Amino acid sequence: MKIALISDIHANLEALVSVVKQIEKLHVDEIYCLGDVIGYGCEPSACLDIVNKIASVKLLGNHEAVVLGMISTKSYTETARISSDWTKDKLSEKDIEIISSFQMTHTAEDMFLVHASPFEPDKWHYILTPAEASLSFDVLRKPLCFHGHTHVPVIFSEVPGDLPHKKTAHNFDPDEESRYLVNVGAVGQPRDNDPRACFATYDTEFKEVCFYRSEYDISTAQAKMTEAELPDLLIERLAVGR
Amino acid sequence: MAEIVVKFDDKIIERIVTEKKRITIGRTNDNDVVLENRGVSRKHALIEFNNNAAVIIDNESLNGTFVNRRKITEEVLRDNDIITIGKYQLIYHNESTQPNEDASNFDGTMVLNTKAQKQLLENDRVEREIVERYGGSVLTGEENTNFSEFRLDRDVVTIGKAKFVHVRAKGFFISGIQAKIVKEDDGHYLINLGKKGKTKVNGEDVERHLLKNGDIITVGKSTFKYVEGRH
Repeated sequence: MKIALISDIHANLEALVSVVKQIEKLHVDEIYCLGDVIGYGCEPSACLDIVNKIASVKLLGNHEAVVLGMISTKSYTETARISSDWTKDKLSEKDIEIISSFQMTHTAEDMFLVHASPFEPDKWHYILTPAEASLSFDVLRKPLCFHGHTHVPVIFSEVPGDLPHKKTAHNFDPDEESRYLVNVGAVGQPRDNDPRACFATYDTEFKEVCFYRSEYDISTAQAKMTEAELPDLLIERLAVGR
Repeated sequence: MAEIVVKFDDKIIERIVTEKKRITIGRTNDNDVVLENRGVSRKHALIEFNNNAAVIIDNESLNGTFVNRRKITEEVLRDNDIITIGKYQLIYHNESTQPNEDASNFDGTMVLNTKAQKQLLENDRVEREIVERYGGSVLTGEENTNFSEFRLDRDVVTIGKAKFVHVRAKGFFISGIQAKIVKEDDGHYLINLGKKGKTKVNGEDVERHLLKNGDIITVGKSTFKYVEGRH
């Protein structure tokens, strides 16, 4: 089975549509969405509608958890709070119903799926350092974990007796003797200095993980956000991928 | 082959490497390990070996037998376990480490320090109460901590100065996640994740250490005690 793994769409419809078109050409069997469909961008409902139709596994991200009242925005930056208040205001009852159906984690074959971190999924930890990755390997019961949250595609591999190794995203065949944390990057707000939308595929039969980048119409996405009066910082970062 | 190192006042007085199926410990000369001391019963305890396993059995002694500061009646020994009988300490090793080291001079006579014995029993009672209250192993806050007891009831417990860690430690030079305590099949391991030299057990730098009851963990300026809940 070939699976497309998408995450962190962040209400960026242009980016999502571009990714979906590219996925169609890849002849995947399933699409799994790893959370944060909404937040930051200006088209949460349209993105939720698409994800709900195309994804067979849909995970809860912290931005969805905020909308459901599971996390407080007290510690958020002003930009993040403006964006989450704006999003909450725009969501319909149907949107909330879709979000309510999202799972915290999902286990399938040799994979564990989570938005942020296998270690305490509901605490939304970032996996940025080998030390943070080690905590996730301690609790991971599958050889592969796919996740998102940091908006940076990256791979951590387990090293017996030492801290995990961190590598920038690259296509690879998972070694059966090892275990991996694979961050699939962000569709709608990449932060690895590459503004193109990012996603990954995993072929469970051929044991192959591939990363993809999709060009999309960033200016249109930015113009819509300006129209929606969303914070400049969120608009500008799309063009630079940071 | 198993080895038992007999210590008195932190000095090694005897190293015992045996192929016997059982060794007896007591005050009188007919024991395999003779501990000449009035606080030690004539037939105080015995250790039975079976394949690679060793079990210590207290022979209803007057002052009791302690393993890693916990009073026991019968206990499976693990590598580096510390057995306390009177003022003696017997360290159990799965395999002999340093054969033929000279024992220090020891004249074999002493009087049991009852204050130390009372302290040992009191610690044992307090720690048992804590373990019973929490239903498992516990970290107690000793110095520069914001808690008195922390239950080790999850697979991974993080220690450091980041806001999101389970156990906050103080100290300028420690990492956000300085260390973790991971539950494995044979017990809790303390694993250093941050700066070298900032995670210690009983004063020694550690990278990966199987915790024993009574171990004192120091992370930066904060000190915790590991109270084991397996008994």
